[in-house]
Amino acid sequence: MNFPAAIAKQPQINAEITEVVRLLAPDIVHIRYDIGQDWSGDWSIFFRVLLSDEASRENNLRRVTKQVVGKISERLDFSGLGLIPYFNFRSQSEQAEMREPAWA
Amino acid sequence: MPFADDLLEQADELAFKEQTNPKQASLRRAVSTAYYALFHLLIDDAVSKWAVERQRSILARTFDHGRMKGICDDVVKAVKGGANLPQELNIVAHNFIQLQQHRLTADYDNAKQWSRTDVVNVLALATDAFNAWRAIRTEDAAQDYLLQLFLPRLPRQ
Repeated sequence: MNFPAAIAKQPQINAEITEVVRLLAPDIVHIRYDIGQDWSGDWSIFFRVLLSDEASRENNLRRVTKQVVGKISERLDFSGLGLIPYFNFRSQSEQAEMREPAWA
Repeated sequence: MPFADDLLEQADELAFKEQTNPKQASLRRAVSTAYYALFHLLIDDAVSKWAVERQRSILARTFDHGRMKGICDDVVKAVKGGANLPQELNIVAHNFIQLQQHRLTADYDNAKQWSRTDVVNVLALATDAFNAWRAIRTEDAAQDYLLQLFLPRLPRQ
């Protein structure tokens, strides 16, 4: 199994994500991620983006999610890292009900 | 209304089937249906060019999800590398990859809990891809993309 370059670059990834969260606050509460393989075996990075309730409102959601994807993609060279990025989103109040540790 | 549009509309209905406390079954079916809406939009467009109408459904079954993902990945990487392709095609390709992975998760990963926010975003990915595709579907780049969805590699010209 060939691991992607990203495995050795997690400090850089973490730093860029921290910066994206800072830039997009208060819409973004935090971003978590895992690196693994997608359904077809391609190495991927799976982002879990926790949004404020205000950002999750229907009239804001698409704008905010596009900003998140755009900013992260600007800062991280996914092709160079050998990863396909995938994004999932959840609001704070949804997480408060669902209480999933992976999103905390 | 074309089948693909019916599927997209149905995905939206499933996402909002319950006003509060949406059932995971509804959300997961919404995600899966949103992917198949885009899948059918593309393959129906592709097979519509086949002259023998009764053979189109047979042709439609030859599309391979993995191959389609690979072609979409090529488009996304080409655009990132500066290729002269319409931005709309990049939206279609990028969103197709996202939707396909979401669909696999929704259909097979019972541990994954979907939120309505997540599903609304998935529906937006599909809607954006529909709009982008319809804006460029007659352009050469879009026609070449459809052909590539059939063929793993175009012959050199």
